[in-house]
Amino acid sequence: MIDRAELRARYEEWVERIGRDHGAANNRVNGHAWFSPLAKPLAQSTVALVTTAGAHLDDQEPFNTATSHGDPTIRTIPADVDSARLRFAHTHYDTASAEDDPNVVLPIDRVHELVAAGRIGASAPFHIGMMGFNPDPSRVADEAGPLVARLLMEAGVDAVVLVPG
Amino acid sequence: MCHRSVGLVQGEIERAGIPTVSLTMRPEITANMKVSRAAWVRFPLGNPLGEPHQPAQHHLVLSDLLHLLETATEAESLVELPYRWRRWERWI
Repeated sequence: MIDRAELRARYEEWVERIGRDHGAANNRVNGHAWFSPLAKPLAQSTVALVTTAGAHLDDQEPFNTATSHGDPTIRTIPADVDSARLRFAHTHYDTASAEDDPNVVLPIDRVHELVAAGRIGASAPFHIGMMGFNPDPSRVADEAGPLVARLLMEAGVDAVVLVPG
Repeated sequence: MCHRSVGLVQGEIERAGIPTVSLTMRPEITANMKVSRAAWVRFPLGNPLGEPHQPAQHHLVLSDLLHLLETATEAESLVELPYRWRRWERWI
């Protein structure tokens, strides 16, 4: 059983800690708990992945990990790319497993297998890579988030799986 | 902060009308972000789907995420997955 009161207490400690460590006093949560039901069965749905694990392709500019301000930019990763071309730029978690097998944070090959098995209808034409270390959440909430949502809408995506680093 | 970024982007995608589900190793953050659907897995940071080169394990976790997409009927649906980390003596 999930103890929400305990999670709330731990969350408040976390907010205090990041405020102290990163000067990130402007914490942010979603303004409303939006909920969209599935429009059609998953077997007919186009599915996209979003990861904040710092995933980018070998020929894309890595996320900027040198600054304490974070990097809220995004990378589009074509779904048909060889997953061995994925790289990880993130200094706030151990990227060793992701570098060994990108599927542990961006299960790009697993999505193709789910399509082949008929569990989902199709892979989106691209997935989204981000780098989650962003002490200022406003650029994620006001810029990156709406941009990602628009790109996925335009690509006809029906459902999204998000994975942190 | 990775988890806060996921929560904020998840909220915007959901707001645009696309159903979403996320994985979390930091439930205290995710549970307080007002997201639609999330599954808590007790794996270490950096290993949300499990161990490298263990596709069956990745599919187990993905299957639970897809199931939550299909079955959740209201916002802030948070479930805990039953898996435990065995490979390394390293936890959340």
